Amino acid sequence: MPFMSRPKTQIAAKTFAMLMCAFLLTATTGCTSAKSEMHTTAVNDPLEPLNRGVFAFNNALDRALIEPAAKVYNFLTPDFFRAGVQNFMRNLRTPLIVANNVLQGDFKGAGVASARFVINTVGGVAGLFDVAGANGMPFEPEDFGQTLAVWGFGEGFYLVLPVIGPSSLRDTAGLAVDTVADPVRLYAFNRDEEWIYYTRGIVEGLDTRARLVTAVRDMRRNSLDYYAAVRSAYSQKRRSLVRDVNPDAPKAQAVQYYDEGWE
Amino acid sequence: MTITLSRRLMIVGMALALLLPAGAAMADKRDDAAVGFVQKMGDIALTELTGKNISGKEREGRVRELLRKNFDVNAIGRFALGKHWNTATEAQRKEYLSLFEDMIVRTYAQRFGEYAGQQFNVKSAKAISERDSIVNSQVVQKDGPPVAVDWRVRNNAGNLKVIDVFIENVSMAITQRSDFDAVIQRGGGKVEALLESLRQRKK
Repeated sequence: MPFMSRPKTQIAAKTFAMLMCAFLLTATTGCTSAKSEMHTTAVNDPLEPLNRGVFAFNNALDRALIEPAAKVYNFLTPDFFRAGVQNFMRNLRTPLIVANNVLQGDFKGAGVASARFVINTVGGVAGLFDVAGANGMPFEPEDFGQTLAVWGFGEGFYLVLPVIGPSSLRDTAGLAVDTVADPVRLYAFNRDEEWIYYTRGIVEGLDTRARLVTAVRDMRRNSLDYYAAVRSAYSQKRRSLVRDVNPDAPKAQAVQYYDEGWE
Repeated sequence: MTITLSRRLMIVGMALALLLPAGAAMADKRDDAAVGFVQKMGDIALTELTGKNISGKEREGRVRELLRKNFDVNAIGRFALGKHWNTATEAQRKEYLSLFEDMIVRTYAQRFGEYAGQQFNVKSAKAISERDSIVNSQVVQKDGPPVAVDWRVRNNAGNLKVIDVFIENVSMAITQRSDFDAVIQRGGGKVEALLESLRQRKK
């Protein structure tokens, strides 16, 4: 791959420029703030024709390659193996999660995530076992897209990324920042062991997709407009993550959200 | 004057003192009722709807019965049609609600037929409005982490009905509405486009 041999600084500069564009766009076109989005179910999708095109491409790729691979993976590997892979991948993500917790001002979350990292790395065989999770410290995903939302950035608009799938302008900017700041990437590229980074990406993608086999099949089968159903589900999921809905806690914050459109 | 005022205050204070715990107790009672309602429905669903030993037709019949008894299908259907409910004619509304129920029945009959969950635990309930509560539950799977399923239960004068189900914080009613809205919009804003799509599904 030609871009792999390019100097790191150039890649970083290009990513930075992309990011700035994304930020400017969010600032100018993102009229809805993250706060007002919490109370609505509408999704802003001005690029729908383009998004539908990319979505169709992703869907074809998924049916031809990714879904079969995920099914083979599910079939060939025992449950404990897949659990180990997920735990290991999550543990590698945890330093980034801690950073996002801190940036969101969620110091309690940062404490839990840090404790998880230490406990699972030391006591869970380099993160293969989620010892912390079994002891009342559940995994909470955080990313820079959520951090931007906490800072008040709106979603901007819905965006379907090639291969990666549903996103938004804000979450794409977040993904770019998380990618640049990712310790695993920095380590791999500094050591000229880029394969580590790419392997991680592929395994993480396969792990995620393998867990979604039933959900995706259900949604394809039961929606009239699969694109619209996925768009709605993605936005709801992201908004719930931003609200940091704790499944064990009363959902006081979400009350208004529930109220829309019901008599 | 001061006496009457303080007397009034006292009366108001006493009334409040009486009301507050009563209100809290009432909320608790309502939450308990909602929890019991969902637990019972879940137990019945798991014993009567899962398993490979019943035919597809039989399963659909049982799902329809359970659905009509425990869900406010018309309220959900109206919500899912959103703003288009207002432009639909009376005949369209009637056909839509019937097609909508058929679709839900087919969907859930299929889901229960493939159900691989091991356990259904209702955890807690929280009142979110005068009539509605959210009941949190968990489906523990054979493999993988538990799935969070939340039920929005409406209390119509003691008569409890589910009006929405959230799977991992994704509302089925909202997803359905987006789906239907997209079909109508792509069909030139006509409700008929949705009806046609739902009719096709039935075949």
